[in-house]
Amino acid sequence: MFSALPAYAELHCLSNFTFLRGASHPEELVERAAALGYSALALTDECSVAGMVRAHIAAKARGLKLIVGTEAGLDDGTRLVLLATDRRAYGALCSLITVGRRRAKKGGYALSRSDVEPLAESGALALLVPGEQPEPGAARWLAGLFVARAWIAAELHCGANDRARLALLGELSAASGLPLVAAGDVHMHVRSRRRLQDTLTAIRLGRPVAQCGHALHPNAERSLRLRMRLAQLYPPDLLAETLAVVERCGFSLDELRYEYPEELVPAGQTPASWLRGLTLEGLGRRFPDRIPDRVRELVEHELALIAELRYEPFFLTVHDVVRFARERGILCQGRGSAANSAVCYALGITEVDPGRMSMLFERFISRERNEPPDIDVDFEHQRREEVIQYIYAKYGRERAALAATVICYRPRSAVRDVGKALGLSAGQIDRLSHSLTWWDDRSRLPERVREAGLDPASLVVQQLLEFASALVGFPRHLSQHVGGFVIARGPLAELVPVENAAMQDRTVIQWDKDDIEALGLIKVDVLALGMLSAIRRALEFVGMRMEDVPTEDPAVYEMIQRADTVGVFQIESRAQMSMLPRLKPRNFYDLVIEVAIVRPGPIQGGMVHPYLRRRQGLEPVTYPSEEVRQVLERTLGVPIFQEQVMQLAMVAAGFSPGEADQLRRSMAAWRRKGGLEHFEGRLLRGMLERGYTKEFAEALFRQILGFGEYGFPESHSASFALLVYVSAWLKHHYPAAFCAALLNSQPMGFYAPAQLVQDAQRHGVELRPADVAASAWNCTLEGGALRLGLRMVSGLSEAAAHRIEALRPFASVDDLARRAELDRRDLGRLAAAGALAALAGHRRQAHWLAAGVEHAPGMLRAMPARETPAAFSPPAEGEDIVADYASLGLTLGRHPLALLRERLNRLRLVTAERLRRLPHGRVARTAGLVTCRQRPDTASGVIFITLEDETGCANVVVWRKLAERQRRELLGARLLGVEGVIEREGEVVHLVARRLFAHDALLGSLAVSSRNFH
Amino acid sequence: MLWLALHFPLFALQALSRGRVPRESVDVPWAIADGREVLACDARARALGVRPGIGLTAAWALAPQLHVRLRDEAAERAALEGIAAWACRFTPHVSFEPPQGVLMEVEGSLRLYHGLAALTGLVRNGLEEMGYSATLAVAPTVRGAWWLALAGCEQSITDPARLEAALAALPVSAACLDQEARSFLRSIGVATLEDLLALPREGVGRRLGAALLESLERALGKIPEPRTMFVPPARFSARLELHGEVEHAEGVLFAARRLLVQLEGVLAARQAGVRRFHLVLLHRAAPAHVVEIGLASPGRSIERFMQLLREKLSTVALSRPVEAIRVEADAFEPLHGRTAGLFRDVHADREGWIRLIERLQARLGGDAVHGIGVAAEHRPERAWRALDVDERPPRGEIRTGPRPLWLIEPPRRLKDAGGVPHDDGRLELLAGPERIESGWWDGGEVARDYFIARAPSSALLWIFRERGGGWYLHGLFA
Repeated sequence: MFSALPAYAELHCLSNFTFLRGASHPEELVERAAALGYSALALTDECSVAGMVRAHIAAKARGLKLIVGTEAGLDDGTRLVLLATDRRAYGALCSLITVGRRRAKKGGYALSRSDVEPLAESGALALLVPGEQPEPGAARWLAGLFVARAWIAAELHCGANDRARLALLGELSAASGLPLVAAGDVHMHVRSRRRLQDTLTAIRLGRPVAQCGHALHPNAERSLRLRMRLAQLYPPDLLAETLAVVERCGFSLDELRYEYPEELVPAGQTPASWLRGLTLEGLGRRFPDRIPDRVRELVEHELALIAELRYEPFFLTVHDVVRFARERGILCQGRGSAANSAVCYALGITEVDPGRMSMLFERFISRERNEPPDIDVDFEHQRREEVIQYIYAKYGRERAALAATVICYRPRSAVRDVGKALGLSAGQIDRLSHSLTWWDDRSRLPERVREAGLDPASLVVQQLLEFASALVGFPRHLSQHVGGFVIARGPLAELVPVENAAMQDRTVIQWDKDDIEALGLIKVDVLALGMLSAIRRALEFVGMRMEDVPTEDPAVYEMIQRADTVGVFQIESRAQMSMLPRLKPRNFYDLVIEVAIVRPGPIQGGMVHPYLRRRQGLEPVTYPSEEVRQVLERTLGVPIFQEQVMQLAMVAAGFSPGEADQLRRSMAAWRRKGGLEHFEGRLLRGMLERGYTKEFAEALFRQILGFGEYGFPESHSASFALLVYVSAWLKHHYPAAFCAALLNSQPMGFYAPAQLVQDAQRHGVELRPADVAASAWNCTLEGGALRLGLRMVSGLSEAAAHRIEALRPFASVDDLARRAELDRRDLGRLAAAGALAALAGHRRQAHWLAAGVEHAPGMLRAMPARETPAAFSPPAEGEDIVADYASLGLTLGRHPLALLRERLNRLRLVTAERLRRLPHGRVARTAGLVTCRQRPDTASGVIFITLEDETGCANVVVWRKLAERQRRELLGARLLGVEGVIEREGEVVHLVARRLFAHDALLGSLAVSSRNFH
Repeated sequence: MLWLALHFPLFALQALSRGRVPRESVDVPWAIADGREVLACDARARALGVRPGIGLTAAWALAPQLHVRLRDEAAERAALEGIAAWACRFTPHVSFEPPQGVLMEVEGSLRLYHGLAALTGLVRNGLEEMGYSATLAVAPTVRGAWWLALAGCEQSITDPARLEAALAALPVSAACLDQEARSFLRSIGVATLEDLLALPREGVGRRLGAALLESLERALGKIPEPRTMFVPPARFSARLELHGEVEHAEGVLFAARRLLVQLEGVLAARQAGVRRFHLVLLHRAAPAHVVEIGLASPGRSIERFMQLLREKLSTVALSRPVEAIRVEADAFEPLHGRTAGLFRDVHADREGWIRLIERLQARLGGDAVHGIGVAAEHRPERAWRALDVDERPPRGEIRTGPRPLWLIEPPRRLKDAGGVPHDDGRLELLAGPERIESGWWDGGEVARDYFIARAPSSALLWIFRERGGGWYLHGLFA
């Protein structure tokens, strides 16, 4: 019966990568086409191949033939479907898309007939999709251009008059000589997506679906239809013709071969010989006395592997970028699986010395895994742009572009867009979407819906939920990857289309990092990292290089164990700080673990506590087998790194390296897409067969689930740990330089300048105020003291600060204004910061004088008018502190709470310091400035608050019940009082709140910004 | 001169909310917002922590049930004009201070109203009846009175010698300074007008501009201040939103009183009365309903207005909830003596067809007469719509398949014999199917295959087969 049906291939099909038109994922279309027994499927997204790789992977898995194509609307109204026959035609297709996309602003495209001509020469096929009134001119043009390679698409959708339509197209065919072929103009894989497709149309048009009228499709015929149904609708020869088209399309994405840039290798050298030369030269620099045998062996081993996999050009590319950064004095560091190799150490891509990291090596490139090498290079965040411009300049915009990031609908955007499409008012939509706790906890939905003035049982609410859920995960637009560059030997546009990004002068390719990886293309990640800027500046202050920093300094570890880590890379967050006294890192590898363990993955997987107990000796370290011992020994039998999970799957459950790699990919995506279930059976079975207990197997699977997309690779952790150590070393030995470097690199890190400065003061650093008589733009060191720079003065331009620095000293405010060409605004900013003290005395006086300066900087001015002097009483201490915070974001005076302490004492509120010394279970009350409110993803409904007073910080935990009852205090208070119970675990103390009080009245107008919910 | 200044601190809110009947048990907190930020809020919202200046998201986090309206500046302007017109009943010298102030020169009215205290009492009561809360202040200069009111100082300064001391105590913000000037004064520690006046005069002028010096001197009465006076209009039209869609006459009466108090004031100011006024009841999705109230003789007493309105409304059944009301009155007559010709209808001649329509509407009811136009809809029964009689159908062609002129509503079920439709015999399918699947968003979803069929009588029928259901007749081709 099935085989008696006519064969059919769909040649015109849009996925949801034709944003707001297609209503099915590429994978869904492929699955459905295969299930219906289609002979092939052409994915023809509008001027895009962004969904093609996903379709390609799915089609390979199902054994369906996939044809690469695109739909293109020309400026004269002609609509075409273009199909790639071979690699050359594919290149021309990508070039055409690139031309159309580059010409328009982000998200659009513009093509005309002349653009299509090069495509015709490449051997591609074309289908004319006639409009309501077929245009014979277009058909004749196409027939002349694509000789014997063009068709007219006959698309019948059960309209008012299909028979007449077919007759009309028949005439067009006769007149132009183009044959007819059946096609479906498919927008969805199944009929039941019709409502969602209507909703997408409404979102696209920006009006409620009820007002979309004929812009909606009249029925669900634009789906992948049963072949039986097609047989009823189309004459058999039109269906048979689809196969004739398919016959001529032989191209598959598998044919794409990545070709590295050539110019990195000088004439007369091969990539292999050149890489070997550079590596050996680098080793000589690293080990001036004698290269250790082990390292030499390692390098040989790695070079052989690199040669076998022909990855030399990749390493040379990264080396070139890093070399450029070094020459410019831009600090950078590589990380990722390949970065921590001996070769990368020799090439200067990373500083992780094989001597320190003996246990880590050899795992970073694996022949069996056959994955492209992964190196991310972090650069100083304020100078990464120089590196990007270097890449563009070296390879040209035709050959280098950023990878895309597919931005998908998330619950909030889905609710907003669907709400609009269903005709909800802006107020109702705001109300529903401003807090989405109901999305995960549907029991709270009715309440929220009623607040928006809607009936939870109503049709519109049901539809909102249905469509918004379906829309989550749909791609919305392409954005640029944070820094992944794809660089090709020839024009990139012949490999993959290139389009404009939102940022000016940035271009992105139409594929994201998963697509690139799946096709074996290689990208170089050029990322920005604030800490590198800070470290470079601190090293400059103390006149050292990163490689000069002594390793394994016990005093540094002692400081880390005390959680005295404000400003230190990675381990400065509250969660990290509470872990340090328990974990007590003693050496570099402990830092590697510390970086990886305090993350959502290991926390959700339940690895943290077992590891801690074992480390503290409270639990024996056991291994179910020798193989597992080898994998887990360095982490005391608890899997902490992504690599360990993969190795376990191989040694304990018999996964092949390829399967383990699939497991890794699925781990990264399962939260979004699911799909880990079939690994569960494989894993459990494999482990039981090898004699492991069911409990052990299940525990491992749970850990894998918990890992999810948060799993952190050991290779990244190792590179980060180096920055942890270096920044901690600088903080310990050069606290003033370290603090100045952090301030000069803002914004970055976890703490605001106020907290960094207070921490430095607690470590005995003398802080000096910003002052036009002494400060530069940046913070500087004056002997051992830290002088705040004029960069801290809110609103002051860098150019003005440089003029001040160059033209010092000044006789008066007026002299300053005239010679440094400052206007009243600049002077007002300096006065507000207290930076005019040397010239004007106290702040009120400074403001008065600053405001008295005439406008018009740089012009000839009369001598300042002799003014009647005004007398001001000096400001109170509190007023100065408020002004400090308002302008500088910090004060060098007393902490505001020190001024209030007497009143706080009367309210029986204790200091943070006192709180830290109270025993477990004691009821206590404290108050402080709210410096941070956090709702971690991992803690359901719990809110963490950090309160700051003149003695330090107090950590408060607010459970959801209380948070809801005292919303007003929780969200509104800047000076928050808390009554609660002390919860103590060793050095770590939390106050679990029972009641909250807003004490803002005490603060007056003190302006302290708080970092709110992210 | 003696000026009475009225400042309405909650004006943005009350201009929109004063039509609401206060009901303690069910009232929700209210706020007015401008885009993303709260501009004003009522006491309930305030009690929950909502403040002017905070973002809407934050406001909803604090008060999830908060009712938020967008600011309506046109409504505020109209409301302020209404107050000014009403205030003209007390004095001919009324001046505007947008966006939320009205100033009245009352020296000449003191005797008529038995003194300042009595007069301010009347003003306050009247404002309350109209649904406004105001700060009232009196001073010998218009600017002085306004600054006092703006600062929330409910003082009556009648003695010019006391004016400077009273103003000196005010915060500098009362002097209507811009944000920059205020923050400058704060930065030099100047909090009150007294502090400001103590600074060297030329130094202040240099930093804050001569306009401020002039403004201070006007407030203190050292130089005169000319003002433009408000002229009350010769007709009355005021609108009030009810919120919560009132369904009973009392709710309408409550709100109507607020407008009629205003009408009374305007009439008093013009020494006029009216013989009739209109109360227009506005509904959400239906034509407005106009109630005409006639007076046997010209009048302007609020009590008389209310009595007549109460009687009239008791005979009118509110068929639909009322969303807003409007009170309209023109043809003001001097309360004593009237002129002929007021009732002459100068626009008596109208086009014949309009009269025909009016007569048809009078006979058949207003809703029964309408035009017809096409609507962009796939569902045939919704592909047309009723037009207002004077509305032109939109131009432009809408392409659909063949459609019969006559639709049968609702579609009539046909007999089905072995999958073949029958209507007085077997129907022959000539064309189709045209498949229509649409309309899920309003609960009227259809899934049909349409055919053109020939009946045994040779009539051409438009029939459809419902998905998974039977055959129906939906139209006749003429």
